[in-house]
Amino acid sequence: MLTIKKFATIPSGSDLTALYRAEVGDYPKFFKMDTACKLGFLLAERLAEEPRFTPREDRAVLMFSTCGSLCNDRHYEASVREFPSPSLFVYTLPNIITGEIAIRNKYEGETSAYVLERFEPETFVALVEQAFQDAVTESAVCGWVDVRADDDFTAFAFLVERGGTGMELNKETIYGTVNQ
Amino acid sequence: MEQLINEIKLKLIDALNLDGMTPEDIDDNAPLFGDEGLGLDSIDVLELIVLLERNYGIRLGNPQEGKQVFQSIAVMADYVNANRTK
Repeated sequence: MLTIKKFATIPSGSDLTALYRAEVGDYPKFFKMDTACKLGFLLAERLAEEPRFTPREDRAVLMFSTCGSLCNDRHYEASVREFPSPSLFVYTLPNIITGEIAIRNKYEGETSAYVLERFEPETFVALVEQAFQDAVTESAVCGWVDVRADDDFTAFAFLVERGGTGMELNKETIYGTVNQ
Repeated sequence: MEQLINEIKLKLIDALNLDGMTPEDIDDNAPLFGDEGLGLDSIDVLELIVLLERNYGIRLGNPQEGKQVFQSIAVMADYVNANRTK
């Protein structure tokens, strides 16, 4: 059985730089990230546990959205008219959000980014359960980070673990936790 | 020189889209690349080369030269001061 160990959310329109300065402050690479990666990074920081930064293969990272990297794609497209920006280009892949989280935290398990038509707890749960089918994964950072614009987004994440004493991961608990 | 250092910081923040960063966040002598400093990587070198050419008329032809010039903001400022054509 999979259970929810921790939950984190960031309200739409939040000042992400202010959150970074208040909660983290020691990772200048944050400023390079696009909005989706900043959100994923901040959510993962809130879900992180001590000891930090110890390499671990048993923790996966799964991120979901409908928009993928569309918001940053637009920024990159705008830059192409003058000078195609390499620093924007690197964020034109939706899966970079999982990479940023994995690199920061030294999570060396599976990383997956899914672009779905809409948020469906059933699909979310099914894909998370699938990630636990191997013999290695014991926990996972699982997030929904959907950036419609830099100040308009939905962002929440769960730390899910095999076993544990938290609420069971299913579509009802996902609905309940997200809407509480 | 202090004015030039601040100017380069502002141009670097703009060129690399370091949204939310201020000049005060950048130590003049901290390495620009790698985890110890600003966290820039090889992708960002291209932006820095364009920054020098556009703003100061400096063309870097040799990649090894770039490695030297982009050690830190202070080193960049010294180089710009000695080689700028505009």
